[in-house]
Amino acid sequence: MRDSNDAIAWPFYVGSALALIVLVVPVLIVILTGLNAGDYMTFPPQGLSLRWIKSFLTSPTFVPAYLFSFGLAAATMAIATVIGTMAAIWIQRRGGRLAKILRGLFILPLVLPGVVIGLALYVFLISTGLPLARTFYGLLVGHVIVTTPLVIATVTAALVDFDRSLEDAARSLGATAWQAFFRITLPLISGGIGAGALFAFIVSFGQFEVSLFLSTPDLQPLPIAIYTSLRYRFEPTAAAAGIFAIALVVTSTVISARLVNFRRLFGGR
Amino acid sequence: MAAAMSKSDALVLDPARSIGRRPVRRPMPKLWLLVLPASLFFLIFFILPVASLLGMSFNKTIPGVLGFSSALTLDNYVRIFTRSLYFDAIFRSVGIGVLVSLVCLLLGYPLAYVIARTKVPARVTVLTILVLSSMQLDMVIRLYGLMVLLGDNGLINQMLLASGLVSAPLHLMYNTFGVVVGLVQVTLPFMIMSLIGVIRQIPPSFEEAARSLGASRAAAFRHVALPLSMPGILSGSLLVFAMSISSYVVPALMGGWKVLVLPIHVYQQIAEAGRWQFGAAIAAVLFLTSLLAVIVYDRAAAYIAGGRS
Repeated sequence: MRDSNDAIAWPFYVGSALALIVLVVPVLIVILTGLNAGDYMTFPPQGLSLRWIKSFLTSPTFVPAYLFSFGLAAATMAIATVIGTMAAIWIQRRGGRLAKILRGLFILPLVLPGVVIGLALYVFLISTGLPLARTFYGLLVGHVIVTTPLVIATVTAALVDFDRSLEDAARSLGATAWQAFFRITLPLISGGIGAGALFAFIVSFGQFEVSLFLSTPDLQPLPIAIYTSLRYRFEPTAAAAGIFAIALVVTSTVISARLVNFRRLFGGR
Repeated sequence: MAAAMSKSDALVLDPARSIGRRPVRRPMPKLWLLVLPASLFFLIFFILPVASLLGMSFNKTIPGVLGFSSALTLDNYVRIFTRSLYFDAIFRSVGIGVLVSLVCLLLGYPLAYVIARTKVPARVTVLTILVLSSMQLDMVIRLYGLMVLLGDNGLINQMLLASGLVSAPLHLMYNTFGVVVGLVQVTLPFMIMSLIGVIRQIPPSFEEAARSLGASRAAAFRHVALPLSMPGILSGSLLVFAMSISSYVVPALMGGWKVLVLPIHVYQQIAEAGRWQFGAAIAAVLFLTSLLAVIVYDRAAAYIAGGRS
């Protein structure tokens, strides 16, 4: 590895290897546990088996939780993508002080404690008597609040990349501002919008903190269901459920790698 | 939305439509309609709830009663700042947050540097997908893996006992160590992502120039690349710090309820003791600590930007 990149000194490769171990090993262990033949994980493993996968697929708690999370994430994605994309376009086109303030507000849920956001929403829904508390829609609202910032960030990065002279060209040929926007700009930033949508889906699918106060025993997203089972014992069935979640995340990341230029995502502000 | 837009299209006669004129970059008509849905949504479901939670924290604590009254008191805050159980939790949370940021920086910088400087596109894509996937994967699933690894009967202890290196299992979780390891695992991808963008903007020629002038590789890194990475180091540390002090699930699972940080207190007061107003006050302290970190970051970033120009 070193010869092709001799600009990078060896300590960086050692550090990188450590970081990759920290990132990847826990995930590999979940996969191994879900495929392990024994009742609990041992070293060395006791051999491969599909018994926990079968146990997951017939589980009365994990399968409904997986499907519930999937539906919640799909609904969250739909709303967050629409309102987030619109807001990002406004922020980028409007510019100035007001846009800066609102952008700060929209990004705020990313740095504030998810437990507090969920708790505040729960208290608010209960005390105002809005008929959303302890329902699917209460969870949905909380998930939209924490995923919209991600859509706004991703779409803003795509808009920064966009060459506005293309829009000027359309307008000089007679298109109205909105026509130019819908026919030229929107198709060209659709990759960024798609990546933002996938991001929102996955973050909602794996969301724990915001769901903590908003979920009920009847409305359990997958992370809450796995958490509940982990507090009592290490069920390999939960690891098998994890394998299906890992598959979903890796697939979506690979798709979004095709949708956007990752380099833009890091540099985008 | 579509109806409103087509209406605005029909109403506006655009001067730029007249042939031969240079298009003037005028704002799109009724542009504000775009930001209306998000603004309303955030006002109703984010600003109002957070504001009312803050308001409730100034009400007297009555166990089991959830509601607002106009009688304001500082009792809850006095209690937080005079009882060492709660007061210590603030410092414990902040201390863990600082420690996790440092560990993430030490672990994350090398990988970010390699991803930013590797010239083989396929390798960059694979590494990026690994980092992004682990960032997006459900935290609870990753913690499951860590718990299988670190428990008293976990894989690490099984290996250590089998090899005879230790005679009794090491306690690697259900303590502060476990919480720090868990938080590092969960927040490391965010540090790496914050660093990659900044390191990529430093031209490798800067370090090459330093080396051609006789600097060692280490000196070139320390005096050129490292200072120029400061914006990413700061923003990554802020993100990791804010996530660490806010996390409930990591201390709950990896600390086994023994590491009492602020989010654990919030949950216990509300879900177990039914003391909504006091729980709201602890949540407010947590909220303000996060906000304070953002402000400190802003100042530090401005200071660095000012110092360089």
